[in-house]
Amino acid sequence: MSVADRDPLAASLKSTDRTTERPLRLSGSQAFTQQPGVYIMIGERTNVAGSPKFAKLIKESKYEEAVSVARQQVENGANVIDICMDEGMIDGVAAMTRFLLLLASEPEVAKVPFMVDSSKWEVIEAGLKCLQGKGIVNSISLKEGEEKFRQNASTVLKYGAAVVVMAFDEQGQAATYEDKIRICERAYRILVDEVGFAPQDIIFDPNILTVATGMEEHNNYGVDFINATRWIKQNLPHAKVSGGVSNISFSFRGNNKVREAIHSAFLYHAIGAGMDMGIVNAGMLEVYEEIEPELKVLVEDVLLNRRPDATERLVDFGEALKASGAGNSVTEKKTEEWRLGRVEDRLSHALVKGIDTYIVEDTEEARVKLGRPLDVIEGPLMAGMGVVGDLFGAGKMFLPQVVKSARVMKKAVAHLTPFMEEEKAALAAAGIEVKAQGKIVLATVKGDVHDIGKNIVGVVLACNNYEVIDMGVMVPAEKILERAKTEKADMIGLSGLITPSLDEMVHVAREMERQGFKLPLLVGGATTSRTHTAVKIAPHYSQPVVHVLDASRAVPVTTSLLSVESKQAFIEQHQAEYESLRRAHASPKQSTVSLATARERRTPIEWCSKDLPVPSSPGVHELQEFPLATLREFIDWTPFFHTWGLKGVYPRILDDERQGIEARKLLADGHAMLDRIIAEKMVTARAVYGFFPASAVGDDVELYTDEARTTVLDRFHFLRQQANREGSEPCRSLSDFIAPKETGLPDHIGAFAVTAGIGMKEVCERFRADNDDYSAIMVEALTDRLAEAFAECLHKRVRDELGYGLEENLTPAQLIEERYRGIRPAPGYPACPDHTEKGTIWRLLDVEARTGMQITESFAMWPGSSVSGIYFSHPQSRYFSLGKIDRDQVEDYHTRKGMSMAEVERWLAPNLNYEPS
Amino acid sequence: MTPVQQHPLRKILEDRIAIIDGAMGTTIRTYGMQEADIRGERFKDAPKDLLNNGDIFSLTQPAMICDIHRSFLEAGADIIETNTFGATSISQSEFFVDDPREHGGRKDPEFYQKIIDDRFLNDLAWEINERSAQQCREWADRVANDTGRQRFVAGAIGPLTVSLSNSPDADDPGFRVVTFDQVKTAYMQQTRALIAGGSDVLLVETIFDSLNAKAALVAIQEVFEQDGNILPIMISAAVGRGGETMISAQTTEAFWNAVEHVRPLSVGLNCSIGPDLMYPFLSELSEKSDVAVSCYPNAGLPNPLSETGFDLKPADMGRFLGQFGGEGLINIAGGCCGNTPEHIAAIARALEGIAPRRFGATAADKKEVTA
Repeated sequence: MSVADRDPLAASLKSTDRTTERPLRLSGSQAFTQQPGVYIMIGERTNVAGSPKFAKLIKESKYEEAVSVARQQVENGANVIDICMDEGMIDGVAAMTRFLLLLASEPEVAKVPFMVDSSKWEVIEAGLKCLQGKGIVNSISLKEGEEKFRQNASTVLKYGAAVVVMAFDEQGQAATYEDKIRICERAYRILVDEVGFAPQDIIFDPNILTVATGMEEHNNYGVDFINATRWIKQNLPHAKVSGGVSNISFSFRGNNKVREAIHSAFLYHAIGAGMDMGIVNAGMLEVYEEIEPELKVLVEDVLLNRRPDATERLVDFGEALKASGAGNSVTEKKTEEWRLGRVEDRLSHALVKGIDTYIVEDTEEARVKLGRPLDVIEGPLMAGMGVVGDLFGAGKMFLPQVVKSARVMKKAVAHLTPFMEEEKAALAAAGIEVKAQGKIVLATVKGDVHDIGKNIVGVVLACNNYEVIDMGVMVPAEKILERAKTEKADMIGLSGLITPSLDEMVHVAREMERQGFKLPLLVGGATTSRTHTAVKIAPHYSQPVVHVLDASRAVPVTTSLLSVESKQAFIEQHQAEYESLRRAHASPKQSTVSLATARERRTPIEWCSKDLPVPSSPGVHELQEFPLATLREFIDWTPFFHTWGLKGVYPRILDDERQGIEARKLLADGHAMLDRIIAEKMVTARAVYGFFPASAVGDDVELYTDEARTTVLDRFHFLRQQANREGSEPCRSLSDFIAPKETGLPDHIGAFAVTAGIGMKEVCERFRADNDDYSAIMVEALTDRLAEAFAECLHKRVRDELGYGLEENLTPAQLIEERYRGIRPAPGYPACPDHTEKGTIWRLLDVEARTGMQITESFAMWPGSSVSGIYFSHPQSRYFSLGKIDRDQVEDYHTRKGMSMAEVERWLAPNLNYEPS
Repeated sequence: MTPVQQHPLRKILEDRIAIIDGAMGTTIRTYGMQEADIRGERFKDAPKDLLNNGDIFSLTQPAMICDIHRSFLEAGADIIETNTFGATSISQSEFFVDDPREHGGRKDPEFYQKIIDDRFLNDLAWEINERSAQQCREWADRVANDTGRQRFVAGAIGPLTVSLSNSPDADDPGFRVVTFDQVKTAYMQQTRALIAGGSDVLLVETIFDSLNAKAALVAIQEVFEQDGNILPIMISAAVGRGGETMISAQTTEAFWNAVEHVRPLSVGLNCSIGPDLMYPFLSELSEKSDVAVSCYPNAGLPNPLSETGFDLKPADMGRFLGQFGGEGLINIAGGCCGNTPEHIAAIARALEGIAPRRFGATAADKKEVTA
C-alpha cells in the first residue's frame, strides 16, 4: 500500500458538475492549475512519433535545435509539452534523460509541466527522474493485466505525477462506447480505491480513432468518444479526459484545410462533453466559428455520424478543395514582435529572456553597427547582463535564468571571438601588446564544502569568455595561491557558505599580502557581505578585495577589473565605497525614533506674524565687484591660522607662548598680501541673493512665484533629526523655521551665493610660475576668508533690509560669533548635509548667469572661495547637526525628492544609521 | 507504526502551534569548539579539516550535542531535529575524499558512484544518523517525562552538496555531476538509519533543489515499501527573494504541487531569507496547501558582523512568528540558522495560546459545506 492517504471524498461523490470538480494541478518551475471550462493545450511537436523533424534532430543529436522546438511550443501557448522518444533508432532512456535535463536548464521551457510519453516503462521512469515538478505520465493501461497496472501506477504516484490511462485492457483497445466506459471505470476503481491515486490526477484517454475510413463500423468512432467522455465526467468524479486529436482526421492527411476543420469541430463537441485536454498541433487548428459553413456541416455530419453518406460527401468536398489549390493550411506563423526593435534592444531582450535563436545574427549586426567587437561586449551585451543582474537582485529572475542568460551571452561572445582575434593580431603586428582573456581561479575555502553557488559563478564567467580554473571545495589557502601563481591567473575568487569560512577568507587575504600578490581578490557566498568584506577582509590586502553579491554580478566586476580603460576608475570608486562602509561600521549605531515620532517632536514654535519679516525689496539682487576693503572688516581670522596649521583662537593666538611669534608673522604677511589684493584688484567679489514667499509643507519648504502664493516655484527638501534624545530636546529640521502652510501666515525664505574667488586661479598660477608657492597659498587662504566675510557681510545687509538687523548694534567680533537673529545654513553642512540642494539655489538665483559661479557634477562650487546658503529669519531658528537618520526617513526623502534610494544613500552616507543594501 | 492520520503529532498540530528547535551550527559555535575537539581520538588522523562537519560532533562530542538538544527542549521545542543535515555518503565525501578538481579532474557520476559504494563513508553516514537519532530520542523522552509533554524527534534530511538541477559545465547544460539514482541510494541509507535510531518523523528540509528533494521523497517511500514502516513526512523548502527554491527556481505553489502526493504531515519554509521576506511565500503556501504548515526561518539575513551571524534577536523572531501565528498561517514554528535556544524560547512564548492554522479534514469539510 502506498504512503498516500485514501481519498474518502472521491468515493462519496457520485456525480460532479464542473463547479465542484477538483482541477488538475501540475507544475514545472511554475504552478499550473486547470481553469474550469478552459481546455488544456498540450504541445506535441517534441514527439518523435508525431514530428519527423524532431525525430531527425534527436537522431542526429542536434539537441540544441530540439530544445528550441520545445521553446516554440511554450511560446505558442502550450500549457504542457508532450515528450516522446519512441522510435526504433533512438535509445529512449538516454534520449529522454538528456533532453529533459537540457530542458531543465531552459527556464522559459522548464516553467511548464512536461508529459513523459512512452510505451516503454523504463523510458517513463527515466523521465520521471528528471522532473522537479509534477508532470504527466503518458501512459499506463490494463493491457498487461491488473498487477502490472497497479505497480506502474504506484510508481507514478511515488514520483508525483498525473497519469494518462488508455482505454485498453487484456482484450485490447476499446473502440465502442461500452468498452470504453467499462475499462475506464475499472481502472478508476483500482487507482482510487487500491493505489490511492488522487482522482483529479487520473486522465483517461478513451481512444480517438480515425473516422471516414470508408468502413461503416468506424463511422460512430467520433460519437463513441464524445459519449464516453460525457459518461466519464458524470460518473468518475474529478477524473479528466484527454485524447490524441489528430488521429480522428487521419483519412484526410495531405489536406490540411479539411483536417484543421475536423480537429476544431471535433474538439468543439468533445470539450462540450467535458474533454479537458488533448494532444494536438496548435498550428493545425482552425477557429471553430471561422470554419466555412458548408465545410462545417460536412465535417459535423461525419464526426457526429449524422448521415450514411457523410464520408463520401466530405471526401468529394476535400478533393474539390485540393484541385482548387485551397487545401493548404490557414494558420500562419506570426513574426515575433520583439524582433522589430533596435539591435541593442533585441540583444538585451535575448539575454533577459535567454533566447539564443537570433543571437548570432543580432550580434553580427551590432558588430557592424558599432565597429569593434569589444564595443559590442562592453556595450549592449554587458548592458543586457546588467539588466539580468538587476532583475535577479530584485527577485524577479531566478538563478537558472541567470545561467541561461550567460549561456546566450556565451554564444554572442563566441561569435565575436574570431573578430577579436583578428583585431588582436592586427594590433600585435603593429607592435601593440594585447592582453589575453581573463583567467580566474575559483575555490571554496578550506573548511567549507558548499560549491553549488560557486559553480554557477564559474559557468557565468566561462560563458563570458573567462578561463575558469575551479579548484573545488575545502581548498587550503596555500593551494589556491600556488595554483594562481602557476596559472598566472588574473584574479582569485573565494566562496563560502558558512560563517567560519569568513575567517578563512581573511586568512587568504593576509597570505596574499604576505606573499606580495598583486591580483584582485573576489569574495562571495551566502554569509559574506559587502560590509564584512570592507571591514574584515579588505584591510588585510593592499589590492582590491571586492564582494560579489551573486552570479549575476560577477561579470561586471571582473570585466571592470580587467579592462584597461575602466580599471582605475572602478578601483577608486570601489575603494571610496568600502572606506565609507568602514566608517559607517565604525561609528556607533544611534538609538533613533521613527520618522513619524520625530515629526511629532518638531521645534515647538508659536507662529505669529510679528516674527515674520517682509523683505523690503523682494526679488533677486546681484552685487558685482563688491568692495574688498569692506569685506576685510568682516574677516574671521581664526580659520586663517588653521589653514596654516596653527591651532588657536584669534586674537589670543598672537600671544600664545609657543605659536605667538609665528602667528604674528603670518598675520602680518596676510595683511600685506591683502593690501596687495585690494590695491591691485587681484580678485573680484560677486554675490547674488533673493527672498521668496514660502511655506513649510511637511519637511519640505515650498517657494512661490509671488505673494499670491498659488504657483510653486521650487522646493527645498530638508531632513529631520532622528536621534532619540533625552529630555525635551526637539527633533529639528530646517523646515521647522518656516511658517507651516496651514498657519496661513506669509513667511519668506532666502538664498544666496557669494564668491571672492574670481581671478584667484590666475593670480595663484602667476605666483607658482615664479616658484612662489607661499604667496599662492596665501592668496587662496585669504580669498577663502574674504568669501566667508562676504557671506557674513551680506547676511548683515540682508538682516538690515528685513528690518530686524537695524536693531542689532553688534561689533564685528559679535557678528563673527553669530550673536544675531536668523541663520544662513549651507547645503552640505551639518543642518542639511545633502549637497544636491545647492542645485535649487542655483536655479532660484540663476547663479551661474549672474556671477559665473558654477556647481560641478559632485555639487562642489567653482571657483573655490565661494559660499552659498539659505536664509531663515525666525527668532527661534538655529544651527544644529542632523546626525544619524534611519531608512524610513531616507525612503521618505527619496520619494519627496524624486531621487533614487541608492543616490540618496550615496549623498547621505555619513548620516545613515544603517548599512545600505 | 501509527498511521499518519492518527499520529499524536498531527493531533497536536490541530490543537496548537508546535515548536521546532533552532540552529545546530550557530549554537555549536557558542561552545568554542576547536578542530581537535571534533576530531577526538577517532578522527585524529583525518586528512582534511573537520571543524565545519558539524554532524561529526554527535559522535565525538555527544555531551555537547545532547546539551544543545536539551537546551532547545527546555526552551519549549516540541520537535527536535537530529544533527544529520550532512549525514549522507555524498555530503560526507566532501570532508574525507580528495576533490578531483584540485588536480584538474572533475566530479561526475563516475566519481560519485565510488562514493556511493564506499564502505567507510556508508558506515560513517549510518552511524551519525543512528547515533544522532538515539541521542535525540533519549533527551526528547527525558524532557517529556520531566515535563509531562510529549516531544518528537525529526530525522533531518538535508539538501546535499550536489544539485540534480544544475550543470557546473559551461559547455553542457545537460551535464549533472550525480544521478538521481545515486542521490536516492544515499538518501535511502540515511532514511533507514534515522528510523533505526528512533525518529518519530522524517524531515526533508532546506530544499533549494526540488529534484534533490524528490529523490529524497522517492527514497523515503521506497524504504517504507521495502521495510514496511510508515512515518509521517515533513517537507520544508528554502526559498529566495522571489519565493523560488534557490537553486532549481521552483515557485512556492509549483513546489507544493510537486510534493503534495506524499501527503506529508506538514509542508513549509525554512532557512534562506528570514521571516519578513519569507512572509508572502509563507502565506501563499498556507493558502494553497491542505496539510499543516511549518515555518522556521533564519534569524533574518546573514550579517557576518553580528554575534550569531544573523540580524534578528530573540525578541524580533518572537514578534515575527507571533504575527504569523496570529494571522493563522502556521502549525509549526521555530528557527533555522542564527536561532539559539533563547530565540526558540522567545518564539514559544510569543505563540503561547495562539490558535493554529486550520487544515486537513476539518478545514476541507468546512469548505465543502460552505461551497
